[in-house]
Amino acid sequence: MKLKVPLVILIFWFETILFAAEAGMPQLDSKYWLSQSFWLILIFVILYLSISKFFIPKIKDNLDDREKKIKENLDKAKEFSELADKKNLDYENEISKAKKEVIKIITESKKQLDKSISQKKEGFEKELEKEIKKAENEIANLKKNSSESVKILAEEISEKIIENLTGEKLNNSSIKASVNEISKNKMSKYL
Amino acid sequence: MAANPMSQFKVYRIGPEIKFGNIDLSFTNASLFMLISAFTICLFLYFSSKQKSIIPSRLQLISEIFYNFIAKMISDTAGSKAKPYFPFIFTLFMFILLCNMIGMLPYSFTVTSHIIVTLIMALFIFAAVTIIGFVKHGFKYLSIFVPKGVPVVLLPLITIIEIISYLSRPVSLSVRLFANMMAGHTMLKVFGSFVISLGLLGGWLPLSFSVALTGLEILVAFLQAYVFAILTCIYLNDALNLHH
Repeated sequence: MKLKVPLVILIFWFETILFAAEAGMPQLDSKYWLSQSFWLILIFVILYLSISKFFIPKIKDNLDDREKKIKENLDKAKEFSELADKKNLDYENEISKAKKEVIKIITESKKQLDKSISQKKEGFEKELEKEIKKAENEIANLKKNSSESVKILAEEISEKIIENLTGEKLNNSSIKASVNEISKNKMSKYL
Repeated sequence: MAANPMSQFKVYRIGPEIKFGNIDLSFTNASLFMLISAFTICLFLYFSSKQKSIIPSRLQLISEIFYNFIAKMISDTAGSKAKPYFPFIFTLFMFILLCNMIGMLPYSFTVTSHIIVTLIMALFIFAAVTIIGFVKHGFKYLSIFVPKGVPVVLLPLITIIEIISYLSRPVSLSVRLFANMMAGHTMLKVFGSFVISLGLLGGWLPLSFSVALTGLEILVAFLQAYVFAILTCIYLNDALNLHH
């Protein structure tokens, strides 16, 4: 097959060269073949030279420049991103350090606060106890004193009442004795 | 007859007759359209590579796409050894593409629809590839005609076939391009004349056909330029990397 096609074309071609020019295929009219070949070669060579010497280096330079620039920019970007990563790490380290310090400070101050609070509480409790004792003493004193004075008052009042009721004076010691007796029984009830 | 579909391929002289003895080198319409194609390529490449911006403009992007397209084609088919031939392949591809494309304009002339033009290019490529092969490999280049792994009995026949197929390369290369361009343009012309002859009532069908064919021909114009270039790369690959 590979052989057949060109052969057929070749036979067809030679036949048509002989007969087709008059039949209307201007391609096979050999009058301008040399002219066409000459101008083709001339124009193609000039085009080739201008493209290979002038245009292709320009396009290639431009493409290379772009690739270089993109690579440079990528490298720079990579550098910057590495720097940013480093900075970020530093920053995180700093933050974690600061956090640790803050926790330390907080626990320390808490301890101190607790200590001072407990100290104050103790002092306060002691004072309170003292105060309570004092008050208790006072109350006890008052009780003692008041029972005495109540007794005297009761003696006086009972003497006066008896005097007013009976019109005669009773023996002081007997009143005292009875008041004492009554108060012994009833005083603890009221005081 | 004005509607002769072949009259579009006629070559005629423009300007004065240039003659050296018996040799007629007059400037013709074919030469004019070669010049227009080459000039268009130069203009395009000049304006597309004028400003070197990192973010390419549209024109610059087109030229870079062509550049990368052809560079990839060469490296895919012929490897890195073919790099020195990049400008030639690039020129070849651009020239054929522009000749084909400019030929698609109405009233223009298609340079590549002439067998002599494509044959000159194909013969040059054939000769260059053969010379490169012999320069790179010496007489070992002849081993391209002897494929490996073929039974000894078949070897003489295969070798003859290989030689014929090698020698028919320029013919197939040139005829492929020429025949494609000629057939397409003839068909366009035929359908165009149908539009006129069928008139306002019946002309619509061939007209729509004509539109479709124009699209097809633009595709063929690109495809044939690509095929021509890639076959050149393949031949170059045979000469550079002798792997038979």
